[in-house]
Amino acid sequence: MAVVTLDQITKQYGPTGPVVVDHVDIHIADGEFMVLLGPSGCGKSTTLRMIAGLEEISSGKLSIGNRVVNQVPAKDRDIAMVFQSYALYPHMSVAENLAFGLRRRKFAAAEVDRRVSEAASILGLTPLLERKPSALSGGQRQRVALGRAMVREPMVFLFDEPLSNLDAALRVNTRTEIIKQHKRLGSTMIYVTHDQVEAMTMGTRICVMNAGKVAQIGAPLDVYWEPADTFVARFLGSPPMNLASAMVASSATGHGARSASLESPLTRWSPAVLGSLIDKKITFGVRAEDLFMNKAALGSEPAGLVRGRVIAVEPLGAETLLLIEVEPGVEWTARLPRHVPVSTDEIVELYYPASAAFIFDATTGRAVIGEARRDPRQ
Amino acid sequence: MADTLAERAPLPRFFSRGALALVLGIYTFYTLGPFLWLMTMSVRTTAEISTDHYAFPKKFHWEQFRIAWIDSDFATYFWNSTIVVVSAVAVVTLFGAAAAHALARYRFRGNRAVYGILFSSIIFPPQITLISLYQILVDYNLYNSLLGLTLVYVSLQLPLTVYLLEGFFARIPQDLFDAAKIDGYGDLEIFRRIVLPIGMPAIATTLILNFIQLWNEFLFAVVLITDPDKRTLPVGIRAFMGDHFQDIGMIATGVMISVIPVIIVYVFFSEKLIRGMTAGAIK
Repeated sequence: MAVVTLDQITKQYGPTGPVVVDHVDIHIADGEFMVLLGPSGCGKSTTLRMIAGLEEISSGKLSIGNRVVNQVPAKDRDIAMVFQSYALYPHMSVAENLAFGLRRRKFAAAEVDRRVSEAASILGLTPLLERKPSALSGGQRQRVALGRAMVREPMVFLFDEPLSNLDAALRVNTRTEIIKQHKRLGSTMIYVTHDQVEAMTMGTRICVMNAGKVAQIGAPLDVYWEPADTFVARFLGSPPMNLASAMVASSATGHGARSASLESPLTRWSPAVLGSLIDKKITFGVRAEDLFMNKAALGSEPAGLVRGRVIAVEPLGAETLLLIEVEPGVEWTARLPRHVPVSTDEIVELYYPASAAFIFDATTGRAVIGEARRDPRQ
Repeated sequence: MADTLAERAPLPRFFSRGALALVLGIYTFYTLGPFLWLMTMSVRTTAEISTDHYAFPKKFHWEQFRIAWIDSDFATYFWNSTIVVVSAVAVVTLFGAAAAHALARYRFRGNRAVYGILFSSIIFPPQITLISLYQILVDYNLYNSLLGLTLVYVSLQLPLTVYLLEGFFARIPQDLFDAAKIDGYGDLEIFRRIVLPIGMPAIATTLILNFIQLWNEFLFAVVLITDPDKRTLPVGIRAFMGDHFQDIGMIATGVMISVIPVIIVYVFFSEKLIRGMTAGAIK
């Protein structure tokens, strides 16, 4: 188990090449399950490969267990990695795959056997030990890959999108298995994924990355309820957060956000903060699950309103997604109960609690900090 | 409709299978025929063959094999061929695999230039290098030596071997190398423990192709070797051909002797050869 610290870590391919990881600072506590989350090409896998020692670090300092490891080869970093493609050696049996790393490290044969048997037993691989990887299913292969990392008993486990090649059902099972092993081993784990469900369900904390930089680090629900910018707000959540341009205006009843299609009181921000934004353009946001067709559903809470033309009604069984066009080219999605009595091209009004509104700087996209968002956990 | 199809299916299947069997039969006869003819000639005397070219042997002259092997020095030729070809194939396989691995896996300046030069040497016919190779071997006292011929064979087969293996090795996923690195293995060990076993079907393919090519090679052997006791099998067989007389029976016996190792090598590696040739065709 170990603390992992990335201090201004940068990766640039060649002196004039693209910077794919740009001055990243992450501190991962001992025993923590940190998820690096982001879209393809955001630099999360490169960051993980630098931690593993598979990519050179262009600048910055990387420490594992209080030891700077920038120049330490992968084999001496005391890490184990699970790959998206499983990376099982196809010419070796399951048992040989599990023991391959231990044999190189000159463990006694009895110790190798003990660790392989233990890992196989925990992961349900005992009947498969003599099989070759080609004779295993995707889920079994992924368990072997996990077992190969476990037998090493490393300080840090690294996972590079390990569930991407599995079907939906197996993905859930294997996800549970990894969470279970994290609880059992208590090791530091760093997990790369582009799947927000994996990030939300597995991570102690998540680190959202965008264009080679850290966009936000925090506990999953904190990041969900308090996104640092429009990128995080859109990336975390399905459907993504609804955004539209608006202006901040002042009236007798207080400050509000207005545009041709929306009207919202702004209750989470101090008058001083809102005063500096009056008559300025902002990006206004509301999550899909905070939109309602019936104003009465909000009770006595101040309500905001958005108006739009229905583009599509998508009944999903347990719920219905309503897509409306609030401005030309700007679509919002509402997650509503099963029965939605509207039809395409109809103009509808949707309501949301004022406390569910987010505002972002229109130029930088950074969130304007207000009082903590109403947290449904409480 | 389904019933109609079910009723109709067997007849076309019979014809399609029959047609396939017919085509395969004709092809087998076409390719195997000359070999069977050679087998019969190898146990007949030249006089018998001259009387009736295609007749089945009335008496099997097995002593022709003894005469070829002992009296006509085929044992020496066979041994010379074995030394030259096995050495050349071993060197080509080892160095070819290592070079192919380096070209497929490592990014270094000039990687594609080296690959391009190797590829260009495959395009040109090897005969154009004959005179210069002759001169080089004379300059280095390697002319008329088995070592010189071995080195020439290595240079002839290495480019194609590297070209074929590079294509196969490049398809081995990078993750396997990364996993082995994290497991604690260095570059040479990864080559030995990962690349060679995984690449075995492709290596077996090049091995068998190189063996057959070099075992039957005549042109370079006849130009670069002059001593009778250093002849390889194809040159040795040529000794039965005179200006005015050809000992067809002994030539057939010699060819049979020379064919046997090729068959053994093929039988031993054929499964891997097929796997190598179809590698990538199915996932």
